[in-house]
Amino acid sequence: MNQSKFIVWSRLLWMFLKVNLLSPSGPASVGLLYKEAVGQIMTEVQFVEAVGFSNVLPGSEALKLAMFVGFAAGGVPGVLTALLGSILPPTVMMLIVAALLEHVQHESWLKGFVAGMSPAVAALIVVVAWELFRTSSSKKIGRRTILIAALSAVALWLNLPSPLVLLGAGIMGVILFR
Amino acid sequence: MHILLQLFWTFLKVNLLTTSGPASVGLLYHEAVPNLVTDSQFVQAVGLSSVLPGSDALQLAMYVGYAVAGIPGGIIALIASILPPTVIILGITLILHRLRREAWVSSFIEGLTPAISVLMLFTAWNIFVKGGSTSWLSWAIGILSLVVMFLEAPARIVVLIAGLIGVFFLS
Repeated sequence: MNQSKFIVWSRLLWMFLKVNLLSPSGPASVGLLYKEAVGQIMTEVQFVEAVGFSNVLPGSEALKLAMFVGFAAGGVPGVLTALLGSILPPTVMMLIVAALLEHVQHESWLKGFVAGMSPAVAALIVVVAWELFRTSSSKKIGRRTILIAALSAVALWLNLPSPLVLLGAGIMGVILFR
Repeated sequence: MHILLQLFWTFLKVNLLTTSGPASVGLLYHEAVPNLVTDSQFVQAVGLSSVLPGSDALQLAMYVGYAVAGIPGGIIALIASILPPTVIILGITLILHRLRREAWVSSFIEGLTPAISVLMLFTAWNIFVKGGSTSWLSWAIGILSLVVMFLEAPARIVVLIAGLIGVFFLS
């Protein structure tokens, strides 16, 4: 009995290590995870529900999705296993790269690299912002979404603290989208 | 000690108020620059986390944490980013069927999302202006990146190429 549980956990751990090593980002991991999990660990309906929940709750969505799959596979220990498998690859890699970069922080080529990356990173953020905006208004297109966006823009322009602006927008959502 | 607490609080806040990794960039920028890291470090963090495999939100958090306070900083940032979703998921799995019908949660997110998008536009502009130069070459890189990414080119390749162009022409 104990041994079969161990097998479930190690398979789960391996699955998430694989998914997180092969996918460049959170959203990209959904497709990969789908192939690994549906049919074996959970049904398609369960998976779709997990994706929906992951998008609605606060925090990194890839992690939440991993934890939902982990729960379906093995309860609370499954959640912790999935978490460990998802955290390990980025942690190890990032700490190594960060430590390496520390040594070249004052090299002039790094300055050029950052200067070149800045506009591309800005563009990347714009693309993500657009995708976020589009998916949010797909259900209820219209003036209310634009109103919140416009008010947020004004508030940010006036240098109001951004967590407050986000909270306010959420509360407006509760009032407007009922 | 004080700086670690500040890190912890920053990432806790960011991860409670945003719903996904990429969306956290906007809020994180406003919370972390210039209090914790410089613009240049932030651009490095976003660029690298989109290039390396694995969850980019976590990598972004760890890079910022590391830049602020070394390995302990990286670990604190990681823990603070993981805590909100973990607690919520563990809670949800116990009361899942109840929250499913709570409409106000999805309305809150519905209102939150356009604000996050706008915040990200502000962030993108700040990064563009402060991160490097605003010469014609930067504009060209930015606009070109925007176009190819809308055409679904992989972001990490675009960011890498842009960085390499910078090494040769902007140093």
